Amino acid sequence: MRAFNAELSKLFSLPSIWLAFLIGAFAPVVFATLDIIAQKEEIIAGVSSRLSQVGYTGLAFGVQGVIILGVLAVSSEYLTESSESGGGQQITTSLTIVSSRLHFLLAKVSAVTVISILLCIVAIMTTVSVTHLILGEYAPAFEWSRLIGVVCYWTFTALLALGFTLLTKNGIIPLAVLMINSSVVSFSVLFSRVTKLAFYLPDRAGIDMFMFTSDTFSGSIFDRFHTPFTGGLVMFAWVVVIFIVAAIVFYRRDIAS
Amino acid sequence: MSVSSSRKITQILGAELDKLVTLPLIWLTLIGTFILNLALSAAFTSVGLQGVAGAQSILNIGLASMGYLQAGFIILGILATCSEYTGGQIQTTLTAIPWRGFQLSTKYLALAIITIPAALIIAASGVLYTFIMMRDTAVVIEIDTMIKTLVGATGYLTLTTLLSAGIGAILRRTTPALIVLLGYYFIVSPLTRVPLSSIKNYFPDTAGYYMYMPSSTNEINVLTPMQGTGILMLWTLIFITVAIVFYRKRDA
Repeated sequence: MRAFNAELSKLFSLPSIWLAFLIGAFAPVVFATLDIIAQKEEIIAGVSSRLSQVGYTGLAFGVQGVIILGVLAVSSEYLTESSESGGGQQITTSLTIVSSRLHFLLAKVSAVTVISILLCIVAIMTTVSVTHLILGEYAPAFEWSRLIGVVCYWTFTALLALGFTLLTKNGIIPLAVLMINSSVVSFSVLFSRVTKLAFYLPDRAGIDMFMFTSDTFSGSIFDRFHTPFTGGLVMFAWVVVIFIVAAIVFYRRDIAS
Repeated sequence: MSVSSSRKITQILGAELDKLVTLPLIWLTLIGTFILNLALSAAFTSVGLQGVAGAQSILNIGLASMGYLQAGFIILGILATCSEYTGGQIQTTLTAIPWRGFQLSTKYLALAIITIPAALIIAASGVLYTFIMMRDTAVVIEIDTMIKTLVGATGYLTLTTLLSAGIGAILRRTTPALIVLLGYYFIVSPLTRVPLSSIKNYFPDTAGYYMYMPSSTNEINVLTPMQGTGILMLWTLIFITVAIVFYRKRDA
């Protein structure tokens, strides 16, 4: 528990973390608003084919915030300080205090999980209220099962980012790969047009937890392939696999290297 | 110090090039981008092959990966300027070269010298791959159109790298610079293209898009390659100037 508190305190004292919070809390609202305004007329006329997606598109792209959170949580530990202050890395201090690497990892994972769940709840609340504010009586009802899917998607993404960064020790590659992959021009969407196996990539499977419109195949990001439950299961399997690998590597690795 | 000014520039340029060449991350980024580009070209080509034969030109498919490719060059630009600030290299640099404006400008020059061949090779390899795979099905294109497009693509990637280097020098930290740039290029820009369609052509990435995309007639308010280059160059120069002004004023 004290290790968990320490992890929370470390996370909150990072300057860049506020950028992550800002993006996580406000980006979904902004994207959802843009999306809603763009198709407001159609919705009011009752001809919009994408009514069931309203708001969720914002939440799908707003996942950036927790990606940054997950990456920063690890990459800040490995950041080499300037030679004036000894050129040390925070990870050596952290592991001196919490000498069990497994405990350290668990504390870090729980801290990131808790923060991303809270962040996601904030994002959902703002997005839902903005949708109701703009659309009024035309706003679709937000189902609990889909909102839980969003929370799972955000948390799993944050954990994937954390595990991935643990392997690379450097924030640049995971940040670039994951940020691009959760955007409109995602790699997974491209590869899913080439091979059906790409539907089992974590983000592509995870998005099925809350985004479903049609059962037809049109090559867009919002096609449905899995049911919400299997989608979540596939993404969770990825998280587990990455964590097993990352934990083994982290457990065996010399920290100074 | 009694060194002639032209000699000084050569020495600073040499030093900056040396620093860039010896950064392992630069090479990793370039090699990674190269491999990624080939993989993406392969994916786009196989999508193209499934489509209607002869409907798309080789250039369109070969350069379709540009949207992803620019990420590698954004990272390159950020690394070049932000690497100075990790571990306090900047103090050594400024002790050896006490002319700040000069030093940063030569850094951009050195970065451009490395980026231009790399961008050309990477962009050409994608087009070449598509060409080999689709020789039989796609429309044949003339060689001068191809050269023009490749020059445009190289210019776009180089200017994007310099722009990222400018932002990197302003923010001085790798992670925030990366978040800002990737967030803009991959999230904000594609999503705001529809609501802001009237002014979208004046943003750096959409203006730069016209530098390499073969012009199509079915689109309104398109820019010519020259106009696109001009707008993107203007953005790059603005960011570089701001970076140099900040660099001269700020405590390193």
